[in-house]
Amino acid sequence: MLEHATMTPAGRTVALLRAQFDDSPLGVFLADSHGFIEYLNSSAAAVIGFDRIEEGYGSSLYDIESAMNCGLADAFGYILDGSIFQKKEYGCTNRHGHYAILNLICSPYREESGEIIGVLGIMQDVTDSSKRKAELEEAIFELSIMSQVSEALSSTADLEEVLKIILTGVTANQGLGFNRAFLFLVNESGDQLEGKIAIGPGSPEEAGQIWARLSKQQKTLKELLDDYSERENQSNYSLTSSIAGWKIPLSETSIFSEALSSGAGINVDAHQELSEKSVEILQRLSTSNLAIAPIVGKGKNLGIIVADNRITGKKISVSDVELLQTFANHTSVAIERSRLYDNLAAHAAELEVINRQLAESQEQIIRVEKMSVIGELTSSIAHELRNPLTVIGGFANLMITSGGNESCAEYLNIILSETKRTENVLHQVLDFSRASRTKTQEIDFNQLVTRTAELLPSKLKHRSKPPLIKVDNQPLAVWGNPDQLQHALLQFMLVASEELTDDCRLELSTCLNENAVRSIIGFIAAEDSRPKVIKVLKQIFGNNTGTQKLSVIVAGETIRYHGGNYGIEGAQDELPRIFIELPQYKGGYNEPTSDN
Amino acid sequence: MSRLLIIDDEDHIRKLYKDYFTREGHQVVAVASGHEALEAAAGQKFDLAILDIELEETSGLEVLKDFKERHPELPIILNSAYSTYKSDFHTWIADAYIVKSSDLQPLRNKIREMVGA
Repeated sequence: MLEHATMTPAGRTVALLRAQFDDSPLGVFLADSHGFIEYLNSSAAAVIGFDRIEEGYGSSLYDIESAMNCGLADAFGYILDGSIFQKKEYGCTNRHGHYAILNLICSPYREESGEIIGVLGIMQDVTDSSKRKAELEEAIFELSIMSQVSEALSSTADLEEVLKIILTGVTANQGLGFNRAFLFLVNESGDQLEGKIAIGPGSPEEAGQIWARLSKQQKTLKELLDDYSERENQSNYSLTSSIAGWKIPLSETSIFSEALSSGAGINVDAHQELSEKSVEILQRLSTSNLAIAPIVGKGKNLGIIVADNRITGKKISVSDVELLQTFANHTSVAIERSRLYDNLAAHAAELEVINRQLAESQEQIIRVEKMSVIGELTSSIAHELRNPLTVIGGFANLMITSGGNESCAEYLNIILSETKRTENVLHQVLDFSRASRTKTQEIDFNQLVTRTAELLPSKLKHRSKPPLIKVDNQPLAVWGNPDQLQHALLQFMLVASEELTDDCRLELSTCLNENAVRSIIGFIAAEDSRPKVIKVLKQIFGNNTGTQKLSVIVAGETIRYHGGNYGIEGAQDELPRIFIELPQYKGGYNEPTSDN
Repeated sequence: MSRLLIIDDEDHIRKLYKDYFTREGHQVVAVASGHEALEAAAGQKFDLAILDIELEETSGLEVLKDFKERHPELPIILNSAYSTYKSDFHTWIADAYIVKSSDLQPLRNKIREMVGA
């Protein structure tokens, strides 16, 4: 106390400051009104760069300022006028040349009367926390980019869209900020990289135009990524032509294969020792410094992102490569997802085709089954009719041979004739019902037509020339009941043959018309026979089924039940042709269950 | 003169065949069932039998088998409205198979062939 009482005012101030701040982690100094240090603590001495506190005593702030360059000297006058000077997170160097980031506050120091007698300064070295803050900010920035890009990537499964979003993220100023970016994908067999898409200006002039335009828009990264019209602007991808179709074998040593095999991003400079292939890559891309980041998904190499700053020439740093790699890691999921989506879409399309075929074959099986039921029913009916017909015709015959008057004989002949006609109808129906019991199967249509044509001569009542047969060179397959179809074809051929004159001849041919297999029954006839042929055909195959023969109706229904069609065709001035069309069988049907 | 045994459950078929083949010069016995046919064959000798397949009580194929076991020397013509039985191997032990028709010529010709005119 006595000591305190004998101190000068300045001494008392220093004593007070010592008591308060000697051990403070904050650097504290006091300079007099002339700018000379009267007090500083050890923390302040460390910040300024004095090895010992004593070195600082009596130092001039101007000398300190010349080393630290923190603006204190300029502000000294203002402080003495009563202002407060402060600098936050200010980068400067101390007397030893060490860089530091400081928070600095200087305020006027007043004595008891209020007179400003000096400057009290507080210094805080925030280099570490500033560094951590910078790191945190950088991490937040990276996360923000990844988040925005991820959100944009999740909005589409289209691979081309995904690739465009990735490259936009790499080159956007709001994103990774590279000048140009190229994307290569590993092919299906995994043995080479293939150039897919590139984004970026081709020249400084073009760069100026693009960047000026984008700068005016002032969009966030998310807005830029969501801007469909910007993504679809083809001028952004003119660089793609430089890598489209470019295939780089992974077996050859190159910067690309090295990036993939290491699984980590690499920074490539033309001044490094590089393989021949690597040099070729740099030359082709017209660059001397690029960053390569492999895209790996579930342990599988998917591709690489290559980026450079060719326009601005800005050197690629380690952190740039690390950021690009982080970005690449994020994009692997999107690329895999889009590929999976493409596979699923392809499978779905295949399943749809198979489903349609199954539905068609199911309908056909139902139709054929119906035919079998009808066949059995008609068979039963036909057999039941046979006995009565036998009795009617048999007794009529007996009566005729018994003798009697002429009119009775005439009536009886009529009865006999109609009985025989009815029996013929029964034969046709029974032939059809017998055919219904055969299994449906794949049928060689050319063989079917040929075999049917061979049956023709034995079935015709009058002699006629055998038909000319011209089957198609390619195999033609249909699905159905071969006996039913042969029966139907034979009926058409028989009907066509029986009604024609002897100088006519049939010409049978087969062909494929889109997805339908066709059999054409054509006619070779002399000029004067033509009108009769035309008349007969139109009568037989006329649209009114009431006037059609039963055999044609049954044959026609057989064709229709097999999903086909029939009729006559031909130009006005030429002989009509009978066509029979059936759906072409391309495989995939299961056999039905019913048989004989 | 041949003795024919007609086995058919249809009355009118039996009458038709009896009248027709009698006129043809044969002696005809017509019965309605397999049981009656076996009884008739046991009591008298026949030169040929004409057997329908779809009988009321027993299947004609069973009757055919019985006849072949008991009277193997008797030729049998199966005569049916159904042509489908031709592919049934049980009918193959018959000597002929003629499908019923209002035209009796095929049956008449087969009978003549088997027993003589």
